[in-house]
Amino acid sequence: MSKYQYFIEYFEQFPLVIQLLWIISGFFMIAVLVLISYLKMLRSYLRKKEKNTTKYEKEYELSLLTYLFSGNEVDEVNPEQQLIIDQLKTCSIDKLKRKILVSLLVKLKKDISGEMSESINKLYSQTGLIGYGIAQLKSNQWHVVVKGVRELAQFHSTEVYNEIFNIRNHSNREIRKEVQLYLVSLFNFKGLAFLDDLKTSLSEWDQIQLLEELHRGETQEIPDITPWLRSENESVVFFTLKLAKTYNQFEVKNTLIDLLLHKNKEVRIQVILTLGHLNVVESKEILKRNFNQSSQEEQVVFFKIFESLYDNNDESFLLEHIRHKNFDIKLKALSMLKKFSIDTFKNIEVLPTDIAYAKIFKFVENN
Amino acid sequence: MDTGSIHILIYVINIFFIVYTLTAVGSYVILGTLSLFETIKYFRKNSYVDYKQILSSTVSPSISIIAPAYNESLNIIDNVSSLLSNHYANYDVTIINDGSTDDSLEKLIEAYDLECIDYLINEQIKTQALRAGVFKSTNPAFEKLTVIDKENGGKADALNVGLNMSKSDYVVCIDVDCLLLEDALQKMIKPFLETTKTRVIAAGGVIRIANSCVVKNGKLLAVNFPKKLIEKTQVLEYIRAFLLSRMAWSRLNGLLIISGAFGLFDRKIIIEVGGYDTNTIGEDLEIIVRMRMHMEEQNIKYKMAYIPDPLCWTEAPDNYKTFISQRNRWTRGAIETLRKHRKIGLNYKYRLLGLLSYPYWFLYERIGPVIETIGIVYLTTLVVFQKLRWDYAFVLFILAYLFTVLFSLVAILTEEHTFHQYKEKGIGYKMILTVLLEPFTLHLLILYAAIRGNWDYLFNKNKRWGAMIRKGFQKSKVNN
Repeated sequence: MSKYQYFIEYFEQFPLVIQLLWIISGFFMIAVLVLISYLKMLRSYLRKKEKNTTKYEKEYELSLLTYLFSGNEVDEVNPEQQLIIDQLKTCSIDKLKRKILVSLLVKLKKDISGEMSESINKLYSQTGLIGYGIAQLKSNQWHVVVKGVRELAQFHSTEVYNEIFNIRNHSNREIRKEVQLYLVSLFNFKGLAFLDDLKTSLSEWDQIQLLEELHRGETQEIPDITPWLRSENESVVFFTLKLAKTYNQFEVKNTLIDLLLHKNKEVRIQVILTLGHLNVVESKEILKRNFNQSSQEEQVVFFKIFESLYDNNDESFLLEHIRHKNFDIKLKALSMLKKFSIDTFKNIEVLPTDIAYAKIFKFVENN
Repeated sequence: MDTGSIHILIYVINIFFIVYTLTAVGSYVILGTLSLFETIKYFRKNSYVDYKQILSSTVSPSISIIAPAYNESLNIIDNVSSLLSNHYANYDVTIINDGSTDDSLEKLIEAYDLECIDYLINEQIKTQALRAGVFKSTNPAFEKLTVIDKENGGKADALNVGLNMSKSDYVVCIDVDCLLLEDALQKMIKPFLETTKTRVIAAGGVIRIANSCVVKNGKLLAVNFPKKLIEKTQVLEYIRAFLLSRMAWSRLNGLLIISGAFGLFDRKIIIEVGGYDTNTIGEDLEIIVRMRMHMEEQNIKYKMAYIPDPLCWTEAPDNYKTFISQRNRWTRGAIETLRKHRKIGLNYKYRLLGLLSYPYWFLYERIGPVIETIGIVYLTTLVVFQKLRWDYAFVLFILAYLFTVLFSLVAILTEEHTFHQYKEKGIGYKMILTVLLEPFTLHLLILYAAIRGNWDYLFNKNKRWGAMIRKGFQKSKVNN
C-alpha cells in the first residue's frame, strides 16, 4: 500500500465534520500560498513599474522640451518636431506610456503659459492623445468618463463641447462635477450657463473648485448674476452669493436685500455676510428692524458686519444688546460701544455678582 | 453532576463557542469585503482630485488644529513645526500645555518667540483654569500658532479648552506627537464639503506607525519597516484595523470610533454635545458615541467619514510594558463608554448605531477577550480531565490560524495595491514573517492587556492613564 493510499484511508476514518474542516484548511493553505506568491509578484511588478515610469518620464520630458523649444512659428511644424510627434504617437498606443505622457503634458502646462501652453494643446491633438480622451467619454465606467472630461478640459479641447455639455445633468455626481469644471475652465463665466437649468445641488467642494477655476481664467468680466440669485436651486444661490462677494457685485444689492426674506436660514446668513462685505448701508435698518425675529445665528452674523455699517444713530441699538445672552454679541456690542461711544461705555454699570459679564467687560475695557 | 449532565454541558459550551467564532469570522469576512469595495470607490473618486485648488481658495472653511501636550518637551518643537507646515490655506494651530511639569512651555516660548496676550475665552465647556495664560508669537511667520498654558486636567479637558478657544468651522483633535502630512487637512475636509443632503459630523484618518521612519524637522522623509517584532506586528495590526475594518464601518456609516490621535470634527456639533467627557479615559470613543446619539435624537441625517490615506504618523510603543499599559487603557475606555451609553444597545430609536455598531462593539470588542480567555481556560480544563477531542482541537486550531494569516495577507495586499508605503526590497518577506508570527505574539499580548483592563476596571477603579514613554523620532533622524 502506498503512503498516499494510507493517508486517504486514515483521513476517511475521521468523522465527516473533521474531514470537512481539513478540506477547508487545505483550501485556506492553498489560498495562503497563492496570496504570498501574489504579494511577491505584486511587489516586484510595482517596483518594476516605478522604475519604468521614471525611465519613460525622463525620456518623454526630453522629447517634449525639444519639441517646445525647437518650434519657430506657432502654426508650423518643423521636421524635428514632426519626428517627435511620430515617436510620441507610437508611444501613446501603450496604456502606461500614454498615462505618463499625459501626466507630463499636464505638469508642463502648469509650469508654462502663453504660446507654449498653446503648443502643448496642439501636441495633445497631433499625437492622437485627444482620440483616446474622447474615447473615454463613451465608457460605461463613470471614473473613466471623469478622467476623459478632465483630460479634455486640461488641453482645452473644444471639439467635444456639445457632447460634454449634453451630459451636464448626468446622474453621476462626479461626471457632473467634471463637466462643470470643463465648461468653466474653457469658457470662464460663459461656462456658468449650466447654472440656468442645474437640476442637482452644487456641493461646497464643487463651488470652491468652480471659483478657483474662474479665478484662473483670463476673462474677469462677470455676467448679470441676478437670475442665479433668484434660482429655485438653493445651491446655485449659495454659489452666486460667493460670486457676488468675490467679484464685488455691488449692482445686485437690491436682489440681495430681497433675499433677506429667503425661507432658508443659511441663505439669509450668507446674504447678511455678503451685504456686509459689499458695505450695503441700506440693509442695516432692515436688519436692525428684523433683529429680534431673526435666529441667533443671523444675529451673530449681523453683529459681525455691524461695525462697518455703524453710525451715531445706532448707539441705542447697541445698548439694547450689551446684555444679550449670546457671548459673541455681548462682546461685540461692548467693543463697538467702547470704540464709538466711550462715555456711554464708561457709564455702564456692572454688578460684581455677575462674574461672567464683569469678565467680558473688563476684557473690553483693557483691550 | 452525573456523566450525562457533564456531556450535555460540554455540548452546550461547544455550541456556544462555535456560534460565537463563526459569527466573528463571518463579520470579519463581511467587513473585509465591504472595505475592499469602499477602498476601490475611494480611489476611483479621489485619484484625479486636484487638492491644490482648495489650498489657495479664500472661501475654504477654517480649521483649528488642537493638540494637547503633557510633558512632551523632547519632541515638542519638531512636532509643532510639523503641525505648522500644513499646506491648507485657512487653518490655525492651538497647543494646549496641560499643566506640564517639564520645560515644554519654555521651549515653545523660545523657539516661536511667544508672548503672553490678554485673550477672552468663551467658556462654552467647563474646563480647568488657565495657568500662565494664552501665548501668541511676535514673529509673523508663526501667526497661525497659539499656545495655551493651563492647569493639568487630562487630555479631554485640554481638548475642551481648545474647543472653547477655536472660532473655526472645523477642529482637528490630534496628539501633539503625531506627524501630519502636508496635504492632510485638504484630504480630511473634502467629505465635509462634498455632501449636500447629509451633514458630516466627523472624519477619521488612518494612523500609521512612524517607528524607524526617517523624520526631519517634523517632516516624514522616508517610510521604513520597523526592526523590533513588537513594532512590526503593530504595523500589521494598524494596517488591518484601518484598511479592513474602519473602511467597512465607514461604508455602513456605522463608525463608532475616530482615533484620538487624529480626527476632524464639526465644531458646532462637538460644542453642542458638551465637548469631551473628562471622566472617561476613552474620550475618543465616547465623544463619537455621544455625537451620533445627539444626531439620532435630533433626527438629522448625518455621516461619519473615513479617509484611508496615510496622513498621520505616530510613534507606537516599542516595549511590552508600555504596550500593555496602552491597550489596558483602551480596554477600560471602551468598557466605560459602552457602559455609560448602554441605553442605545439594541434600541431601534438609534437605528444603525443601536442595532449594529453598539452590539458589534459589545460582542467582539468588549467581551471578545473575555470569551477568548474563557475558551483557553475551558480548553485547559478539558485537557486536564482528558476530555479534549484532539482530532477536533487540532484541525480547528489550524483553521483559526490559517484564517488569521489569510485575513492579514489580504490587509497587506490592500496596502500594496493602494498606498504601497513599504517600497524597499525585502520588506515583503519581513511582512509575511510578521503575519505568520503575529497570532502567537502581539495577539496574546493584546489579550493579556485586555484582561488586565477588565480587571482594573472592576477592581482598580482609581487607575487612570498609564505613562507613555516617548523615545522621540530623533533616533530616526538623518543628519544634514
